Amino acid sequence: MNKRVLAGILSMVMASGMSAVPALADDAGQELDVAVNAEVKTLVPWAASESQAFLVMNQAQEGLFRMDADNVPQPALCDKYEVSDDKLTYTFHLRDGIKWSNGEPITAQDFVYAWLKQMSADATNGYSFLMTDYIVGGQEYNEGSGSEDKVEVKAVDDKTLQVKLKNPTPYFLGLTTMSMFFPVNQKFCEAQGDQFDVTPDNMLFSGPYKITEYDPAVGATFVKNDQYWDADNVAIENAKVRVMKDSAAALNAYKAGELSQVEITGTDVAANKDNPEFSQLTDFRTNYLQFNLTDPVMSNVDMRKAISLAIDRKTLVDSILADGSAAGTGLIADGMAGDGSKTFRELNGDVSPYDPEKAKECYDKAVKELGSDAPKEVTLLIGDDSVMKTVATFIQSQLEQNLGLSVKIDTKTMQGRGEQMDANNYQFGFTAWGADYDDAMTYLDLWTNGTPYRGNYKNDDYNKLIADAKSQTDDKARLQDMLDAEKLLVETDAVVAPIYHRGHAVLTKSNLKDLVSHPIGVPMEFKYAHFE
Amino acid sequence: MTNDCVKDSMFRKVKVDEAEREHLDAPMTSVLADAWYRLRQNRAAVAALFILAAIVLLAIFAPVFSRYSFKEPDYNAIFALPDKAHIFGTDQFGRDLWVRCWMGCRISLMIAVVAALVDIFIGVTYGAVSALFGGRVDAIMQRIIEVLVGIPSLIIVILFLMAFPAGVGTIIAALSITGWVNMARLVRAEILKLKNQEFVLASRVLGTSSRGIILHDLVPNAVSVIVINVMFTIPSAIFTEAFLSFIGIGLAEPQASLGVLINNGYQVLQNYPHVMIFPAIIIILIMVCFSILGDGLRDALDPQMSR
Amino acid sequence: MARYIVKRLIYIVVTLWVITTCTFFLMKKLPGTPFDPERFASMPQAQQEKVLEMYGLNDPVPVQYVKYLGNMLRGDLGTSFTYVNQPVTGIITSRLGPSFLIGAQAVLIGLAIGLILGILAAWHHNSGIDAITMIIAVLGVSVPNFVMAALLQYFVGLKWGILPIGFWTNWKCSILPTIALSFSATAMVARFMRTEMLDVLNQDYIVTAKAKGLSQMRILMFHAIRNSIIPVVTILGPIVINLMTGSLAVESVYSIPGIGSLFVDCIKGNDYPVIMGITVFYASFYMLVILLVDIIYSLIDPRIRLSKEQED
Repeated sequence: MNKRVLAGILSMVMASGMSAVPALADDAGQELDVAVNAEVKTLVPWAASESQAFLVMNQAQEGLFRMDADNVPQPALCDKYEVSDDKLTYTFHLRDGIKWSNGEPITAQDFVYAWLKQMSADATNGYSFLMTDYIVGGQEYNEGSGSEDKVEVKAVDDKTLQVKLKNPTPYFLGLTTMSMFFPVNQKFCEAQGDQFDVTPDNMLFSGPYKITEYDPAVGATFVKNDQYWDADNVAIENAKVRVMKDSAAALNAYKAGELSQVEITGTDVAANKDNPEFSQLTDFRTNYLQFNLTDPVMSNVDMRKAISLAIDRKTLVDSILADGSAAGTGLIADGMAGDGSKTFRELNGDVSPYDPEKAKECYDKAVKELGSDAPKEVTLLIGDDSVMKTVATFIQSQLEQNLGLSVKIDTKTMQGRGEQMDANNYQFGFTAWGADYDDAMTYLDLWTNGTPYRGNYKNDDYNKLIADAKSQTDDKARLQDMLDAEKLLVETDAVVAPIYHRGHAVLTKSNLKDLVSHPIGVPMEFKYAHFE
Repeated sequence: MTNDCVKDSMFRKVKVDEAEREHLDAPMTSVLADAWYRLRQNRAAVAALFILAAIVLLAIFAPVFSRYSFKEPDYNAIFALPDKAHIFGTDQFGRDLWVRCWMGCRISLMIAVVAALVDIFIGVTYGAVSALFGGRVDAIMQRIIEVLVGIPSLIIVILFLMAFPAGVGTIIAALSITGWVNMARLVRAEILKLKNQEFVLASRVLGTSSRGIILHDLVPNAVSVIVINVMFTIPSAIFTEAFLSFIGIGLAEPQASLGVLINNGYQVLQNYPHVMIFPAIIIILIMVCFSILGDGLRDALDPQMSR
Repeated sequence: MARYIVKRLIYIVVTLWVITTCTFFLMKKLPGTPFDPERFASMPQAQQEKVLEMYGLNDPVPVQYVKYLGNMLRGDLGTSFTYVNQPVTGIITSRLGPSFLIGAQAVLIGLAIGLILGILAAWHHNSGIDAITMIIAVLGVSVPNFVMAALLQYFVGLKWGILPIGFWTNWKCSILPTIALSFSATAMVARFMRTEMLDVLNQDYIVTAKAKGLSQMRILMFHAIRNSIIPVVTILGPIVINLMTGSLAVESVYSIPGIGSLFVDCIKGNDYPVIMGITVFYASFYMLVILLVDIIYSLIDPRIRLSKEQED
């Protein structure tokens, strides 16, 4: 009898397991398959904060603009726009005949609804500042002191959207390519209630692709959206974003032909350098040490300078990481916009150099100044990520070797690290910031409010520079403010020590062309891709 | 018919020599000495014991006598293949793997020993008491186990690491909370089977205390199950520790256990297999030796297994 | 028997309540919020407060606990914080399918191969098959399952191209993870079976059976196996629970949407409703399996059954 019971239970289990296995994927030859290394947890625009979700949303939705292969925003759902002379009022004219995937027209009201939602208290993704910092009335609405109708995002008519900004913002068009700025159909959204964007049935699409299957742990399946205004120029019919957490497994899948492109990391980068399918770019993302200026040891500026000067970033990126990352010569990542002919980094030079002798000098000075407070050991707070651990180990060995300062590495979960930094409970922490848009302000703005997370840095000169840059209508003066601000923050005050800019290396099947990757915000464009 | 042949005079009264009565031809041996004697007869077990001793000695002394330190990086010798300078090669930081393996061995052996001790002392006692007393005591003790297993241990480990500095001690303490549960259940099952057998009844009738019954009657008879389970506890403790490092909340660099070394090696397996192979060989060697030794110990300790 | 089961089920409910309570309060001690720490830190204070309020995280923990318990009694486990607006029950059930399938297959394989190896090894003690069994038993526990999974994927999946590398599209995808997962179970079952068989084969009743002239096969089938399988049933509980509740490593190597990775993710991401949901599920599953094992146990152990008959 017991055998039969057991068999019964097992057959039930088998049945329940198999029902979770979707039907065999059709082998329609040229499908675009890419992998992401973490789950696509949510596609609700005002809740999603991870790049995996941005990638999926960017294929299924579209904003006023879309980035091209050179990271320049090109008109998308809008085809014309005007900027007032004071550079504060933008008027966008929507393209004719743009439709949602259910055939309804996309209107200016859809943008207003989505943007207001992102500025409301419902937004949990932490990206509200991308609107509230710029749009008149947004801040007040977000904090609850202002009302919805005071927010200067208005639908003049069905086809015209008008936005008033607080300050001239040269990168504003770039912002509109991000997923928070994508339109949302109010009627549809409200009809779905809290199920909006939870399953493909509760989604409406404005972009080049429709999502037909979505499972946070598996990924998303796309099919070309026939209602898309530029559908004629979308070459690939079917695409998939698949969740593959193990990088070795993803590489195996690529080699077996199950992926069209794969991101490679660690030692695989060096091993594949000569592969014709190899390509890489440096993300606009900076991994840096944040010093806590209220800590007795780290309040000493020479100590901070000594630590920054003692780290050989070139060895780190060339020999240890060896994954295409670039040495952190400043807070603003390599390649980010400068004056048009030169990048910001080229203009400001190396503000966080490696100089062991000078480091030792600074260290000795710091020890003298600190007197009895001079530390025997400092504690570096990091999150539980293997690359972070590697870098921390390197920093530990460098400080020991070049300064004779021993470092204790305190590893916490990402949440734990965040909380400890928020609670001002750290000496120095290893953290990172990815640019949201191609402008130095995306970094520099972070150190103006003096929170513990940003090391309690409060410097009126710095804040003045940032405030001035924000209100400048002259692009040159604005750039100079920001160049000075970076020097002040990194070189003079040594509040942060930039370590490296993350590399992004991929292998792409040779017959797949024009799969565009961006170093910021939205990571990838399926729209332009085609097979040969 | 009378039997005249047998006369009293033909008999001599024997004086009872108390000492003589207890005389054994073989030398007196305790249970342990006896077990030790029997273990020595088992050649495979002796070999395993020697290899384990060698591993322990290497773990203690190899790092001391090496020119390299387990944390000293050498950026000119990254991922060096095994050669004369570095017997096991080097890792991502150019650190000598020979030294790191034996340092890791120290930590893993420490974790293994503590796990085994917790298993034997807490697990066996808990299981035995629960089974022997039965009834309400058993029911409550089993519910306590269920509660311990039911609360996700990962939460407990994270909280442990928040409250105490990350280190070998904290990890061992965190692992010990639930590490003994399987043993307790297993011993309980075994003793439930044994406790109604005649020899336990006899012992009880003779007035042996519960403690005596557990220690002298039940545990020795459950020894084979105990020994094998310890053999499974050891690797599972070593790998649970590695799992914690795998998800990022284990030991802090530059410290490493064998499990961590295997994890790190796994990351570069396809390009630099030597980084994983050596710690893996050591761990397998430890397991094989423990296993053979365990079998030998069981044969030696279990009265029923003697040939 | 029925009374015994009912009593145990009541115990399970009470224990479940204790577990839920402990986990709830411990979980609230986990550092941080359920939101992206970097992003949350850059929100203005006022918005942080509002977000916390929206998720009911500003209430005192005991109040949150009472609310949660109330909802749970109504069968509502809430919606996830990180999987926005997705009900916890839905997330857990969708992840259970793959883990259960692979786990159940691995248990079956482990049990079948483990028992056969264990029996053969004991029956032919000190022979070649015995040596092979011991080698498998040692390797099975000393090679970590993610290494096994990676090797299988590399050779069987990529080099020989026999089976899919990963993904979760059809049944074939479950073969490699099942094999990777079943090694440790095979090892444990083989090891326990062999030892217990050796024990039993030395018992007087086997000698008696031999003396009575019973055939080897009969002794094996009706006396030896039946009596040695009991401890295997005991370890079966933990094996079933281990394998069927998902393995983070195997799931990540084969890209399987299973419950193992969900569990680790939600704990590290402070997704409180999902943590509680999985805990409730896991604890009930554990206790039910243990109960089942105890029942099976009494069914196959003649001595336990005897004592029950005497009671009646």
